[in-house]
Amino acid sequence: MKKNLSRYSILFFCLIFILSACSSNQASEGSITALFTEVNPAPLSVEDSESRVEMAQKIREIILTFDDLYDSAIVLGKEDCLVAIKVRHTKRFRMKKIEKELKETLEKEFPNENFTVSSDYKIFLEAVRLKDKVKEENWPVDKREEQLQKIIKLSREQT
Amino acid sequence: MSQKEKTPEQKEYDQLQKKHETKRPILRNCVVAFFVGGTICLIGQAISFLYIYFFNFTEQTAGNPTVATMIFISMLLTGFGVYDRIGQFAGAGSAVPITGFGNAVISSAIEHRTEGFVLGVGGNMFKMAGSVILFGVFSAFVVAIIKTLITQWFLGGF
Repeated sequence: MKKNLSRYSILFFCLIFILSACSSNQASEGSITALFTEVNPAPLSVEDSESRVEMAQKIREIILTFDDLYDSAIVLGKEDCLVAIKVRHTKRFRMKKIEKELKETLEKEFPNENFTVSSDYKIFLEAVRLKDKVKEENWPVDKREEQLQKIIKLSREQT
Repeated sequence: MSQKEKTPEQKEYDQLQKKHETKRPILRNCVVAFFVGGTICLIGQAISFLYIYFFNFTEQTAGNPTVATMIFISMLLTGFGVYDRIGQFAGAGSAVPITGFGNAVISSAIEHRTEGFVLGVGGNMFKMAGSVILFGVFSAFVVAIIKTLITQWFLGGF
């Protein structure tokens, strides 16, 4: 009995160590629930000029017309625009097609922008984190753009 | 007399055997396998979310470390003798997920430990799981060829 107990306690501690290993303190208030629930963050523009902010708002309005999506995070950079979306669970078989359709619609509407559309939860999470960081720590434009480029690079990673 | 026709004694014996045979609880087995297999997959999903949330993995890249972690956990459970109990209780529910594959490799490695590391562990650890790897790689190869042919010939490029 005692032997069994010590076995289970070793097992339990091993699992705890695995599950809690190396976690970094990236969590921000808003991003905690972003993976599971609908958060609908307001679009973020890297530059504070009125025209760019308005444009980000317009992109969001276009995304809202897509019924297959239920949440979106938009980060408008200097030349690139990141659109992270969450596709409804029943429509996830058509996910790549929906991504493509959305990208084509946005490119048609704004031909001068480079759009990166991603339905990956991680990209959504990072977009929400970036928005929170900008709000909480008042990041300068260069740092915002740098982080946006990092997220876009991450979205292209395959392995 | 043909081989298929049974003698009256054999028929009588069949009836006797049917009478005393323990019935397999198929429905119970299916339900238990469904729930235990589902729970293992739920744990896998939770680990995948942990990798996405705390580390720099996307949904696409989180698969590999998740599989490695699940196999590591099943290795610990096999070593401590817990996975055998789960296997007895859940049947296919514990064998079908990736943890069942890990259990197959590790249990044969433990079993042949006494025969030495090279000829014992090295030579026998894929005794049970080797066929899974072989058929997995081969079927992936066949499916990849079919996909390439369809996308190249019928749909005109990727």
